Amino acid sequence: MEGNYLVLILVGVIALFGIIGYNRLVGLRNAADKSFASIDAMAKKRYDLIPNLVATVSKYMEHERGTLTEITEMRARAMSGNISDNEKVDLENKINKAMGGIMVAVENYPDLKANQNFLQLQGSLNEIEEQLSAARRAYNAAVTDYNNACQMFPSNVFAMVFNFKTKPLFEISEVERQNVDVKKLFG
Amino acid sequence: MKTIDEFKTYFDAQMYPDLLVLDARRKKVLTRSTWVVLITLGLLALLIAIYHTIGMSAAAETSITIYVIVAVLILIVAGVSLGSWARDKTFYSDFKAQVIERIVNFISPDLVYEPKNFVGSDSFERSRIFLKSVDRYKGDDMVRGKIDKTQIWFSEVKAEYKTTTTDSKGNRKTSWHTIFKGMFFIADFNKHFQTSTVVLPNRLGKGFLADFFNKMNLARKEKHVRLEDPDFNKHFVVYGEDQVEARYVLSTSLMKRITDFRERHGNPLYVSFVNSFLYVAINYKRDLFEPSYFKKLTNFLLVKGFYEDIYLAISIVEELNLNNRIWTKQ
Repeated sequence: MEGNYLVLILVGVIALFGIIGYNRLVGLRNAADKSFASIDAMAKKRYDLIPNLVATVSKYMEHERGTLTEITEMRARAMSGNISDNEKVDLENKINKAMGGIMVAVENYPDLKANQNFLQLQGSLNEIEEQLSAARRAYNAAVTDYNNACQMFPSNVFAMVFNFKTKPLFEISEVERQNVDVKKLFG
Repeated sequence: MKTIDEFKTYFDAQMYPDLLVLDARRKKVLTRSTWVVLITLGLLALLIAIYHTIGMSAAAETSITIYVIVAVLILIVAGVSLGSWARDKTFYSDFKAQVIERIVNFISPDLVYEPKNFVGSDSFERSRIFLKSVDRYKGDDMVRGKIDKTQIWFSEVKAEYKTTTTDSKGNRKTSWHTIFKGMFFIADFNKHFQTSTVVLPNRLGKGFLADFFNKMNLARKEKHVRLEDPDFNKHFVVYGEDQVEARYVLSTSLMKRITDFRERHGNPLYVSFVNSFLYVAINYKRDLFEPSYFKKLTNFLLVKGFYEDIYLAISIVEELNLNNRIWTKQ
């Protein structure tokens, strides 16, 4: 009889740990998903600014017309919704690069640089850029917590049993890396 | 911002002549006070001597009373002369005007100095840095104004709470405990945000247990925010209501700047971001901006000390790059 009780208690304790471990993993995974959604929200906020920017800038910029139409097209594609996550990231990188190009080109147009409307837009864009980077950092922190739980003992046992997979971190995009490539600047 | 050499030039040319006069007044107070103390001690010694030589012979009971009365009279006269003849009523306020106010104006003519004013307790509590409710609050030496695009306020403050204990005989005893003493600084931050983010000194250090207890933090509504800068984490632990907004406020460059600032001045540093305002509390054990009768006012090193205390607060604007208004907040 006593042996039976012991087995029952043991099973109970394991089940309890299992429930706690499982819930913790779910909580961490949801936190990571939630912060991924906030990256999406910020990205969308930035897309909303693009038509305004294009409208303001196109009056002044003669030589960059091509880039401007390209940005508008890319934005439309990114907003359409029926594209895969990978394509989305790819498009975002391209938009990043094109926007960066425009901001550099602005230097050649003193009138535009003094335009109140443009300055305000530039402020909003900087703000969203910063928010986007904050959202990515928050996502990486959440994913690191989740991945640690998936890989560290003892929670990794439950992760294995319940099939929790680690998530990839948000890496600095290729475009952003190129921006700080000092060798290229002086090469 | 101004360099220490520029300040030395200003000190020599503008402040020194007035400080000579002020220092003469300080010396006068010190000399007179010394005289009062010496004469009082002399008279009391004399009294005791008289008592020992002739006083004993008289009827003991009544003579002691007379001696005590005379001693008390001597002490009263001493007290009154310390408070009038040996006192300079305007020394303190003249010191504030000629030393502290001049320094503030030298650093920036746009700043206003109010010796008796201070950052209010409502702002202190709004900062959410110290959650203990305040029972006694005081301060002085307020500086306010604009550094380029950034509005700032700061002053010395002291916040305390009290505890009352009753012993077995039913005597109630109230004791006061300091929540914070030092410089409290507020600035209009360069980004908009709605939630609160609090940066506190990391008293537990690194390691599994430290992380565990830092994370737990039962008292706050803000949750632990784990940031990626290891140097920053060595000094600070961060709590925020919103994980994304906390990182929006604490950009990687701002973390670096706060760490540098902390490492340079060495005192415990508390920072918070609430409703688009930045709050910084810097702990000091000593009193700030107060003169001492025992220190020579014409000594540049002494005045330089006052200058550095004020400069430290004002330099927050530049150190944390608050005039960088590239976002929508102007």
